[in-house]
Amino acid sequence: MTEPYLGEFEQTVLLAILRVGDDAYAIPILDQIHEHTGRRVARGALYTALDRLEAKGCLRSRVGEPLAERGGRARRYYTVTPGALRALKQARASLLRLWRGLEARLDSKS
Amino acid sequence: MTHPPAVFEWLLSAALARDDRVEMVVGDLHEEFATRAARDGRGRASCWYAAQALTLAVWLPAARRARVHAAAESRRSGDRFMRNSWRDVRSAVRALRKRRGLTAIVTLTLALGLGANAAIFNLIDRLVLRPYPLKDPDAVVLLSETGPRLQYKKEAVSPANFFDWRAHATKLIFLSADAWWDANLVDGGQPERVAGFQVTSGFFEALGAQTALGRTFVRDDETFGRHHVVILSDALWKRRFDADRSVVGRTIVVDGEPHVVIGVMPPRFSFPEGSEIWSPIAFDPQMPPRRDLRYFTVIGHLRPGASLEDAQSEMSVLAARLARDYPDANRDHGVRVFTLLSGMLDEGTGPLLALWQTSALVVLLIACANIANLLLARATERRREIAVRLALGASRFRIVRELLTESALLALVAVPPALGFAWLSLRALRVSMPANILRFVPGFESLGPDFRLVGFTIALAVLTACVFGLIPALQAATSEVAETLKEGGRTATGRQLLRRAIVVAEMSIALPLLVAAGLGVLGTYRFVYGPQGYEPDGVLTMKLVLPERTYPDEPSRRQFMARAVAGLRGIGGVEQAAGVNNMPTSGSNSSRTIEIDGHPAPDPRQLPSVDFRTATPEYFSLLRIPIQRGRAFTDADRQDGAPVVIVSESMARTYWPTEDPIGRRIRAPNGPWLTVVGICGDVIHDWFNRRNTPAMYRPYVQSPGDSFCLLIRTPADPASIAPDARRALLAVDPAQPVFEMMTMRQALKERTIGLRYLAAVMSVFAGIALVLATVGLYAVIAYLMSQRRHEIGVRIALGASRRDVVRLTTGQTLRLTLVGTAIGLALSIALSRLMEAGMIGVATGDIRIFLGFSVFLIGAALVAGYLPARRAAAIDPMVALRVE
Repeated sequence: MTEPYLGEFEQTVLLAILRVGDDAYAIPILDQIHEHTGRRVARGALYTALDRLEAKGCLRSRVGEPLAERGGRARRYYTVTPGALRALKQARASLLRLWRGLEARLDSKS
Repeated sequence: MTHPPAVFEWLLSAALARDDRVEMVVGDLHEEFATRAARDGRGRASCWYAAQALTLAVWLPAARRARVHAAAESRRSGDRFMRNSWRDVRSAVRALRKRRGLTAIVTLTLALGLGANAAIFNLIDRLVLRPYPLKDPDAVVLLSETGPRLQYKKEAVSPANFFDWRAHATKLIFLSADAWWDANLVDGGQPERVAGFQVTSGFFEALGAQTALGRTFVRDDETFGRHHVVILSDALWKRRFDADRSVVGRTIVVDGEPHVVIGVMPPRFSFPEGSEIWSPIAFDPQMPPRRDLRYFTVIGHLRPGASLEDAQSEMSVLAARLARDYPDANRDHGVRVFTLLSGMLDEGTGPLLALWQTSALVVLLIACANIANLLLARATERRREIAVRLALGASRFRIVRELLTESALLALVAVPPALGFAWLSLRALRVSMPANILRFVPGFESLGPDFRLVGFTIALAVLTACVFGLIPALQAATSEVAETLKEGGRTATGRQLLRRAIVVAEMSIALPLLVAAGLGVLGTYRFVYGPQGYEPDGVLTMKLVLPERTYPDEPSRRQFMARAVAGLRGIGGVEQAAGVNNMPTSGSNSSRTIEIDGHPAPDPRQLPSVDFRTATPEYFSLLRIPIQRGRAFTDADRQDGAPVVIVSESMARTYWPTEDPIGRRIRAPNGPWLTVVGICGDVIHDWFNRRNTPAMYRPYVQSPGDSFCLLIRTPADPASIAPDARRALLAVDPAQPVFEMMTMRQALKERTIGLRYLAAVMSVFAGIALVLATVGLYAVIAYLMSQRRHEIGVRIALGASRRDVVRLTTGQTLRLTLVGTAIGLALSIALSRLMEAGMIGVATGDIRIFLGFSVFLIGAALVAGYLPARRAAAIDPMVALRVE
């Protein structure tokens, strides 16, 4: 089975979910992205990406228990599917292959 | 628990109603809102929430739709209602863009209407609903005594009663009192008079306020001798003490006595009345608190769990007991417990703002009528299109929905310019408000757009869209398909009737606004530029309050006044100088109860009361107040001479209607008899409630008070003398502050600012209404004419003269206008009642105004009707008939 193509932002979101672990829902995912990339991602962009990734089969979600601090609403937790994990690995590998031999050149320019 | 703003939560939930993510999205925002509210405060968190909710409400459905579309172009699943709505919006956008001119006109009209409403809403919101930054506004209360002679809620409790209340109240905590205190602050630089209040312990706690530095007052600070401590406002601390944190513990000189600074309040705390310094209330054991003098304003905080009614019933019992125990002072006196908001609200503010909001709504209504008319005209043009669509099977519901979407979109487009318009008006209001008035209008400084205002404007826009969009939409949808297609779209009787009705309605609501504005302007002009009873031009005024410490007795005050007047008169270019305790326009007043020799009052407890003035001899000639009989004061009226008094014309008329008052005697109860030596003209002391009221004048030397105004008359520009005047007074006492130095003309203008605001705002509203109404009439007449081209062409062909045609159409205009005017006159009477409540006694129903504006409106309408009539008369019958 061919793995789906992952855009840069999609990779960011997937990696952030992996970092958060089992209890990944929108708020900690946003925090993770901000912490590691310094980017403040618009919440709408994240929800849209989550929606798209789930439609692509890269994410699975489950709904938790209703919580008082959310006005009686439940969180939706996301997990990365094995297929998406493979796709991430492939993307990383191909990027690394492209990088090979270029480190010196890019370092010197920076 | 903190809850995000319900409106936006509801909005977001509604936008995502058919989305399986609604629970996640709304929940996430809720969760983060709590975090943010705890970190940044509720206000900022609410703004954040509103922005997020609005963005997501648009973004998420759109993005999901885009994805579903891209993923499965052919798949016919999904949300039909939303898809249709989306299509409606897109076709509405197309329709509006196709008619840029119409869209622009409608947007502009709506922006004016909505903007006016938004500005007034903001005023009401900030001045009436949320004037103070209180944590728990419903639990803060104001208590006042009620009694036969008490008319105000503030300054209406006697100290002795207050202390009894405080000792016995159980449903109220932090029961505390405040009393007016003008503090003379001398520290380092120039002496300055600072607006202050003396308060008891618990005052800040009742309001839920804490000091930014140091502590608040405790019970021990009320002990006489240990009461020389002060708390500074943030503004004063920054202005006079360079925000020096070590000021706490420092000793400063206030009212000639050393005081220790014990605290500094946080920014924006200036309760009450823009106070900048607070000191404790303490009573000299030699002069215990009185029970019969009522000058305390009392506030408190409901004990958690207690309601306003609990507090009221407890206090009523307490007051009844005090009335029984102290019948002399407390007979017929009770107590009322108000929430602080309703208690502190100025009596005039409510009706005034209600009047403004009513007027703004009327303007909006006229705007709606105009837009409905325009849309009706367009619906007529689209009748065939709609009829064809109906014939092809489109549902009427769908057509209505599409047209309503168009209206809603039009209204929403108008929201940003409306907010801009509101913002500009509010800015203009804020800039033109003088600082010494600003102090008494809590909340004024915080005027400006906020998210409540945005929410209000959007809601009003949507409501407006329903009003102006519904009629054309229903009209379009209920038309008879077969008829419309058959008749080729020429006549439309029913619709024309509706359009005429709309014009009549416009006229009839524009007239009351014109009348109200006319009354306001006329009243204002009369009070600002009309005769005042004195000559305000060429006079410079200033105020002083002598501190008790440096001027403890009458001789010292007399001496100060003599030196000050002499110093001022010595300035080059000054003709005259005088002092008076309360000058006209000063905003303050004194009064005395009097007994009249030979006319004992029927009830000794209900003595008449007159305004009380003390003045130096030159006062009358300086202000050009005529002495009609007898004489003015002279230097011969000395403190040890015969006690004399001058009475005003109205006082003479009231108390000696048939006799000559000169030589008669009056006195304050138990005071010495005063002989009337002169009668002077009446003055308008204050336009609001002291116009030509009975007044008595005493020579300053015979009754030297500690707070007064100084006036100088000069042929030069009075403002140019101000620096010299300040120097001259500093030469008399370098530690004595002088404040509110301005020309009398300026003082008069500031004193009437409320009146002038009222007139200006009403005029703007009336102007907009008049323009909208005449434009509306013009549009309708022009439209009717164009519908009747064919008929007019036939008439002309059959020999009707051009004048006949003009007469025909003008007659039509006139009928519409007369009906509108008649209804308008009836409404005007109702509105003028509201005006009278808002401008007590200033705006009185004046028949000339009613008639004048009716004629004016009819005239404007005839002009608006004549132009299209003339064009109709110029119709070439050949051209008109060839259209067939």
